[in-house]
Amino acid sequence: MKKSLGIIICVFLLCAGPLSAAEVKVGSNTPLSGKLSVYGEGFQQAMLLALEEVNAEGGIKGSPMQIVFEDNNSTAAGAVSAIQKLITVDKLPLLFGPAASSNFLAVCPIAQQNKTILIAAESAAAEISKCGSFVFRVFPSDALQGIGVAELTQTLKYDQVVLTYINNDWGVGLAEIFKKKFTAAGGKILDEFAHDEGKTDYRSEVLRIRKSNAKAVVNLTYIKEGATVLKQAYETGLKVQWLMGSASKSPKLVELAGEAAEGVIGTYPTFSQETPQYKAFKAAWEKKYPDKKIPVFGEYNYDMVKLTAKALRMAKSMAPEDLRKAMIEAGKGYMGVTGDKTFDENGDVGAVYGCWTVKQQAIQDYK
Amino acid sequence: MSYYLQLLLNGVIAGSVYALFAVGLTLVYGVFRFINFAHAELISWGAYLTLMFSSPPVSWPLCLAVIPAVLLTAFIGFSQDWFIYRPLRRGSPITLLIASIGLSYMLRNVLRLIWGSDLMTFSLPLARGFEFSGYYVTGIQLLMLAAALLFLMILYLLLTKSLMGKSLRATADNLELAAIMGVSMPKVSAVVWTLASVFAAAGGILLALDTNLEPMMGVANLIKAFAAVLLGGAGNVWGALLGGLFIGIAENLGVAFFSPGYKDFVSFAVIFLLLLFRPRGIFGLLTGVR
Amino acid sequence: MDYLLHVMILALIYSVFAMSLNLELGYAGLYNFGHVAFFGIGAYVSALLSHAGVPVSAAMICALAAAGITGALLAVPALRVSGDYFGIATLVFAEMFRLVCLNERWLTKGPMGLPGIPRPAWIAPGVEGMPAYLLFAFLAAVGTFVFIRRLTGSPFGRALKVIREDEHMAQAFGKNILLFKVKAIVAGSVLAGWAGTLWAHYISYISPADFTLTETILVLLCVVLGGRGTNWGPVVGAIAVVFFGEAVRFLPIPPALTRYVAPLQGIIYGGILVVIMMKMPNGMIPEHRRKNT
Repeated sequence: MKKSLGIIICVFLLCAGPLSAAEVKVGSNTPLSGKLSVYGEGFQQAMLLALEEVNAEGGIKGSPMQIVFEDNNSTAAGAVSAIQKLITVDKLPLLFGPAASSNFLAVCPIAQQNKTILIAAESAAAEISKCGSFVFRVFPSDALQGIGVAELTQTLKYDQVVLTYINNDWGVGLAEIFKKKFTAAGGKILDEFAHDEGKTDYRSEVLRIRKSNAKAVVNLTYIKEGATVLKQAYETGLKVQWLMGSASKSPKLVELAGEAAEGVIGTYPTFSQETPQYKAFKAAWEKKYPDKKIPVFGEYNYDMVKLTAKALRMAKSMAPEDLRKAMIEAGKGYMGVTGDKTFDENGDVGAVYGCWTVKQQAIQDYK
Repeated sequence: MSYYLQLLLNGVIAGSVYALFAVGLTLVYGVFRFINFAHAELISWGAYLTLMFSSPPVSWPLCLAVIPAVLLTAFIGFSQDWFIYRPLRRGSPITLLIASIGLSYMLRNVLRLIWGSDLMTFSLPLARGFEFSGYYVTGIQLLMLAAALLFLMILYLLLTKSLMGKSLRATADNLELAAIMGVSMPKVSAVVWTLASVFAAAGGILLALDTNLEPMMGVANLIKAFAAVLLGGAGNVWGALLGGLFIGIAENLGVAFFSPGYKDFVSFAVIFLLLLFRPRGIFGLLTGVR
Repeated sequence: MDYLLHVMILALIYSVFAMSLNLELGYAGLYNFGHVAFFGIGAYVSALLSHAGVPVSAAMICALAAAGITGALLAVPALRVSGDYFGIATLVFAEMFRLVCLNERWLTKGPMGLPGIPRPAWIAPGVEGMPAYLLFAFLAAVGTFVFIRRLTGSPFGRALKVIREDEHMAQAFGKNILLFKVKAIVAGSVLAGWAGTLWAHYISYISPADFTLTETILVLLCVVLGGRGTNWGPVVGAIAVVFFGEAVRFLPIPPALTRYVAPLQGIIYGGILVVIMMKMPNGMIPEHRRKNT
């Protein structure tokens, strides 16, 4: 037993060996395995694309930039292990945080205490704003989206709705903000319930929606749960206006739900696809990954790396305080693919919310 | 009122599928006296194999793809027994239980490795359900109900009318005595595992047709099936049907009264209370086939 | 090398968890497949109380008490059934606990989890506190180890083993079997709660997703791999499992293949469980038994 332990420790030390010292290294805590790995791969490709461009432009003050990827198994404990390794073994001063707000919340106190910059590209929970001065995100907070959904509901003149949401960090957080805003503006919630993540049968939940005779249902959920609910509602002939959030905006939803997805309206943080930045990104993506579609949140990951590179170039030194100031400085008026990345006092960015809808089996902008 | 009736209807349909899973579980328990946790994986493998045969490169029509899928699932079920449970049968039931938990975890991850953790679907065309004076039911749901009844009827006839059925029941009653009396054990175990796997695969495929496929689909339903087994009294086939229906109805009606977040809690609570207070099952009193 | 400290802390906490399960599973022969619930109760009670302003050490003690009381409340009815039925009853209990944590948002914040759980006052937060926490976890593990060794070496422990091997014989000796089993479960639950508090205050974030069936399988693996019914078995098992899990991080796996790592790991864990049951049911450190069975 002692022998095998010894071997394991040796493997550790060998593999953790030094990389070239001339490089400017940052870390990334990415879900490469586990339930979020489907998304993680896309994040990684977007980051690598940005990295390639940064280095083609001369890197950081002459030295190439490098990203150390660390897998977090898509779990909170895995994310903590990964960030411990990135901070203490690799000694990196700046990290890209894990996807999924709960995993991000698990690591952000560690980054804050260690004075390590932590940047989020896809974690939306409003709580993250309170993480601390070293935590930034290039993705808008749910606080904005919750308000966005409430406003959409009101513009469509639905003042009585059923609210259902997926029972996880994202759904619960968003639903609470929506409820606050919607009821404050005089809306009435007829029935409210959470639905479990990853179930295959939501018929009884659909029936509960039916019972309340609502004209509109606010369904804040993920892709597969959303598709299943839509499908099973369609089967029972339920005719309501579905209002959804950004997490279900995906061609996969339409693929899974088919005709049942027709007419759904949702919100999403948007950015113009007409800007030169977006066009350049799209061209670069198609050149590097010719047979791959731009992944969910790929643009945000790309912006995150580019903005970080800008900050690293501006930073006086790699000291935490200098990096933090450089991040804020670099963000000021920075126009990325996903729009303006000026950080507010919580390290958050603003956002424009657009609406999407499904028409003729395709996701389109709703006007 | 019609709201509750529709919930009841949904419960009956869900329950009939739980019964299909429960029958296999209860057969294995009845004969070999251990809880086969890996029964869950027979459910999901049946569904995933059908998906494999019905999508490229094989691309067989669904009704054809079912055949090799069910056969392969039966093969998996049979190999479970042959390579793992048979050598362990002399040990304690706990050794078997831990081994089956390990096996279940392993098979589930093989599934993940091949097909990923994402949700899959047979992409059948979407159909509105049939409406009967305000109640809705889909074609597949009717199929599920019919299949469950048909399968259980066949099983009932098999157990009561055939010689094989008699030796099965004798084995369930007393394994050693049956062996002494000349019941061929390899034959009995082959029949039990084939039946259990076919039922699990059939239920899994129906469930996948009705909804979707995902790696956890087996485990999620196994616990419900186990509740059905307990309700019906372990080893009791008709008890498993009644138990399945009870669980299906209880959890669906529960949605009307609790938050749907507690949907699973209902069946768990049923198991927990039954185990502690009526371990022989509620319907165990009824004279069922064992 | 703070990362190594991190891995060592995890291994020690898992050792405590595995030792607590071993007390029930190995010594008393009680197949508790819902042990993770007590780990969770320890973690949640301790975290909630320290968020409410209770000093961490007091919160930890309350958490242990809560785990023990719940253990007793579960044990008395659950011991009406034995063997595999007891296993399923506890498994279901753990799932019920998790669903309560997920749905009672007013208390547990539901799926959002509880971030920012403080460490004991004498341990500095962040990396500076890691050596101190390692010491703390080490002392906790040693304490647990000594406690269990004394317990199992005492007449109580020997009686437990007799009950495990042959209940009728134990009854014939006039032992109150139920009482013995309840005591074993209470002790096991308190220690599992202890592991849970150590974990919560170290990781500093808990959510219902941390207390699933997967966790049960992992700790079960630690115990049966190391050796049931021995003092060192679960410790060795836990260290082996944690180090194996972390060592995977250092394998040079190309990014394109990393999505296969988690299922492969699952296949290996499940496979080990099966193989151990078949080939060496006593684990790496077999229990010494008199050869009369």
